[in-house]
Amino acid sequence: MSVVVSGARKFFRARRDQVVALDGVDLSAPAGRLVVVVGPSGSGKTTLLRAIAGLDRLDDGRIEVDGRDVTAVPPGERDVAMVFQEYALYPHLSVFENIAFGLRARRAPDVDELVAEAAAHVGLGGTLRRRPDQLSGGERQRVALARALVRKAAVFLMDEPLSNLDAELRTQMRGEIRMLHEGTGATTIYVTHDQVEAMAMADHVVVLRAGRVEQSGPPEEIYSAPRNVFVARFAGAAPMNIISADLVGAPDGVASIGVRAERAVLVERDGGRFAGKVRRVEFAGADAFVEVEVASESFLVRIDPSDVPGAGEEVGVAFADRDIHSFDRSGARLP
Amino acid sequence: MNRTGAFAWPYAAGLIALVALPSLATAFLAFTEYSGIEAPRFTGLDNLRRLASDADLRYALLNSAFYVAVAVPLRLVIATGVALLLHRRARGVPAARAVAYLPSVVPDAAYALLWLWILNPLYGPLPLLLDALGTGSPRWLTSAWGARSGVVLMATFQIGEAFVIALAARRAVPDRLYEAAAVDGASPFYALRRITLPLMAPVLALLALRDVVVSLQASFVPAFLVTGGGPNYATRFVPLYIYEQGFVYFRLGYAAAMSLLLFVLTAVIVYVQYRLARRWLRL
Repeated sequence: MSVVVSGARKFFRARRDQVVALDGVDLSAPAGRLVVVVGPSGSGKTTLLRAIAGLDRLDDGRIEVDGRDVTAVPPGERDVAMVFQEYALYPHLSVFENIAFGLRARRAPDVDELVAEAAAHVGLGGTLRRRPDQLSGGERQRVALARALVRKAAVFLMDEPLSNLDAELRTQMRGEIRMLHEGTGATTIYVTHDQVEAMAMADHVVVLRAGRVEQSGPPEEIYSAPRNVFVARFAGAAPMNIISADLVGAPDGVASIGVRAERAVLVERDGGRFAGKVRRVEFAGADAFVEVEVASESFLVRIDPSDVPGAGEEVGVAFADRDIHSFDRSGARLP
Repeated sequence: MNRTGAFAWPYAAGLIALVALPSLATAFLAFTEYSGIEAPRFTGLDNLRRLASDADLRYALLNSAFYVAVAVPLRLVIATGVALLLHRRARGVPAARAVAYLPSVVPDAAYALLWLWILNPLYGPLPLLLDALGTGSPRWLTSAWGARSGVVLMATFQIGEAFVIALAARRAVPDRLYEAAAVDGASPFYALRRITLPLMAPVLALLALRDVVVSLQASFVPAFLVTGGGPNYATRFVPLYIYEQGFVYFRLGYAAAMSLLLFVLTAVIVYVQYRLARRWLRL
């Protein structure tokens, strides 16, 4: 079932100031897709998710689930399930009762079978009688997932579900959530501040900043054709290099250009687009990143770690025309 | 002796002088006949035998049992209910919290005299109000059940401490749990039953435990100042009976024996309550 948010606005009053949390957000999650909403903290992504869940009222705008206007419908009647950042497990209830809570609240039949099925689905076998404080972080995460799964809701909402896990587990759970999504086919809206997570999981990415959608599209498009400087810097493992257009002699109207670290190479001092001095080298396993200083700007180049220049060495930086992203004075992408 | 221990000395001294020594003295006097004038005379188990056959004591125990059985649950329910009503931050809530707490800061004697006026059958505002409403009122100070109800009624307004503790317990329940429950389709009543009350339960159990101990003794002031133990001994609770035996008739040995009995009974009740709470709460 699809989720469509249109023109969402939300203000918070902090003392006398009015803070705009959502400033006209449109979002469309087609049925069965996994949409990741990504943005820095304070961008309004959690507010957006809570509005879709019905936990926060919008000041303006409209939310539809499967074509039905649910803007004023209470959370329990929206057919959505939510996984919270801190899991929000009921501390006094066993794992079984945590998962069963929503079913019992709705007086659903076959609680035992449904709970067992959901628990098995997320790999929670022998822990059903334990209480949340006896579980590891990863197990709690699975309980939270099972609690959402068991209701077979049409829409899953996930609020930074992996942020409390260590790096290794996070990578593993990210894959498992993606698999679960494919298994259930439920429309999923997933909020994170981690753009790597967003790129890895999403069918569709929505980049949010200061309550506005900066760009919305498939991960490949966000990466290869960022609509502005903010998205260019935000998406990708290393932020895109943005340098002043004067350095490379770009055409009129181009204020700055962007080149990804992996699209640039180090060459002889005079053989590249510009020359600079190596400030530092960062080793990253399969690759190394060289930070080149040029006219008080810095530029990252990804290189093979077997051939690393020394700090202070003068080098040239080269890249192909097709790898140049051009931006105007306001930061918007030029064709 | 380390320095931290030194800070405990004033309290340790108080504990020894005001609790430990009087307790030992009481335990000793319980086996004597003592008028306060002559030296105590050892009488063996005479006082304990007398406890078993004292019909007045039995009546006082029943009065106390009634008071604890009604006042404790009532006070707990009211304190919890008010805490649940006033846990949110909203306009007027701070004032309402102060109102709920205030009766508990009134000194016991002043509070008792105030109720003596409120319940007065001739000009007390409560009988007048109930008469005006046409419901009629129990004869508050002049009938057995009226007087017992009056003493319980007095107790139900002094819930300040339990209210504050219940309020803290309610506010310790994270909002996230209610949000999760709302998304799961739980009604507010369902969330109250399955989340709020179970999570507050350990604190409520502790409050109940404490209130039993307090109530077995706190019935003294209203009985002494408002009802005088009457009418017809209907509100002569155990503490008042001990007081009368000890300080009106100067049977200090027998009063000490009854104090010992009250202590043992309190300990037994608290222990049973504690075991039950542990089993129900799986602590």
